[in-house]
Amino acid sequence: MPETSLLPVRQVLLIAYMTGVLWLRRNPMSLVFTAISPFSLLFVLFVVSGGQYIHFAVAGSLVMALVGYGLALGQDISFYKTEYKVQDVFVASPVSPLTYMVGLALSELLFGLPALLVLATLVVYFGSVFSIPLLVATILLIWGAMSALGFFLSSHMLHMRNATQVISFVNVILAVLPPVFYSMDVMPDVLRPLAYAVPTTHASLMLQDIMGIPTPADWSLEFGFAIQIAYLLAFITLAKTKALWREN
Amino acid sequence: MLAIDAIGVTKVYRSASQPAIKDISLRVEAGKIFTLLGRNGAGKTTFVRMCATQLLPTSGTISVLGYDAVRQAKHVRDLISIVPQEGRPLRALTPWDHVYNWLQIRGDSKSAARDKTEVMLRKLEIYGARDSPAMNLSGGMKQKILVAMAMATDAQLLFLDEPTIGLDPVSRRQVWTAIKDWKSKGGSILLTTHYMDEAEMLSDYIVIIDKGMIIAQGTIQELRKVIPQNIRVDIARDTLDVDTLKSYGSVVDTGAGMLRIFTFESAVRELSDLALRHNLSFTVSSVTLDDVFVYIMGNGIIDDQNARD
Repeated sequence: MPETSLLPVRQVLLIAYMTGVLWLRRNPMSLVFTAISPFSLLFVLFVVSGGQYIHFAVAGSLVMALVGYGLALGQDISFYKTEYKVQDVFVASPVSPLTYMVGLALSELLFGLPALLVLATLVVYFGSVFSIPLLVATILLIWGAMSALGFFLSSHMLHMRNATQVISFVNVILAVLPPVFYSMDVMPDVLRPLAYAVPTTHASLMLQDIMGIPTPADWSLEFGFAIQIAYLLAFITLAKTKALWREN
Repeated sequence: MLAIDAIGVTKVYRSASQPAIKDISLRVEAGKIFTLLGRNGAGKTTFVRMCATQLLPTSGTISVLGYDAVRQAKHVRDLISIVPQEGRPLRALTPWDHVYNWLQIRGDSKSAARDKTEVMLRKLEIYGARDSPAMNLSGGMKQKILVAMAMATDAQLLFLDEPTIGLDPVSRRQVWTAIKDWKSKGGSILLTTHYMDEAEMLSDYIVIIDKGMIIAQGTIQELRKVIPQNIRVDIARDTLDVDTLKSYGSVVDTGAGMLRIFTFESAVRELSDLALRHNLSFTVSSVTLDDVFVYIMGNGIIDDQNARD
């Protein structure tokens, strides 16, 4: 077997190709189904507010979509593990758990690409083209963190049903309750520290900042970045050290 | 060299009160086909999964190809390949997609992967369906995809956990041929199976486990000696007196109205005369591994006293 430092990269791309590209090529409708769901809340908020909350709705929908794709990785991993025994094959091979996780996470991202492109375009439209690097960084930070969390959670699930339930619960905690779809200003002061402890709050605030929405005085872009990076590193460490690759 | 050296291995699952594997020690020689036989739930898959670095043992040590399966799992994983029990290929992917991409994931170049994929798909006779998504293939074809993925690799040790389950007799023989080819190239195999003919056809060494413990082991010739007699006579039960049959050897109730008598050549004529007198069907054959297994497990043995000689 050739020992090259690029092998993990190749493994990631091949796993994404097998579970994402090949699936989509033979089931193109999957792309349509996955693309529509992130716009449901955006549509409701837009209609109910008469367009007033469009910025919050766009930021919230993008964050919620990324949380969904990250956590959906957990569902896919549980499915592959319990129904197909795919993980058994990968565990007993030269593929590392991190490589497996990143490959499948990339595959999830492919499914969400149309929705992400539309939502990201809306963010740039309401902000500016100069904010694209910041937007890409925000997307990658939250997607990476959520994928690592999804991988960690799924590795401890022995049944597909448990995985779905836990992941739905975490989705509500991360994408619905915190100020992702609404302004931090409506949060009672006593709950603000709690909201700042959630990574998705910062992702939404960063997107709001890009779109020119005033952000809280006690929050800054640097603070948001620092928290997001800290969560990404923490969740990757969690996935790398505490996810059950080999069962015990 | 040893492919596997397990010493005092015990596995107790968290939710279980009884160990799935109890203090098992065994050595698998490299370049051999080593078979684990046992009833459902005997602990075969648990043992395989521990050796294949998928499951941690509760105690004991397992060395695979010279590396510790717990502390040096990465080295072990570079050298092994598996067919998991009850595995399934991905629905939308074709046999070619599975094998070709899997080989590249394991480090083969595109051209090497292409050549090996073609050889293995042809060997297992799924080349004709190479471009059909797995969801359109039969259960047997799906199983052969998993076998092809494992056997097309350059791994030194192959774990095959019931690899021919669901295959028709012709397909089973194709897999057997592939397994023998693998061994002829110096590869080692740890096989679990429920099919006695498969174990008999392929195994260099067999271990029978029950309730997590080794209850018998040896080559096929050695295991056959577990039954003192060398001939078996299957005879319809009907009105025959079991006590009369016991005088010829060990009698086992095989169900479906049949009795099996383990005996010697010298008793065959008398038994056949007895069956003919009662107008009963009967068959005579040599003792097989299936008989040994049933005999060891004690299933339906009415009497295991030696036959008169």
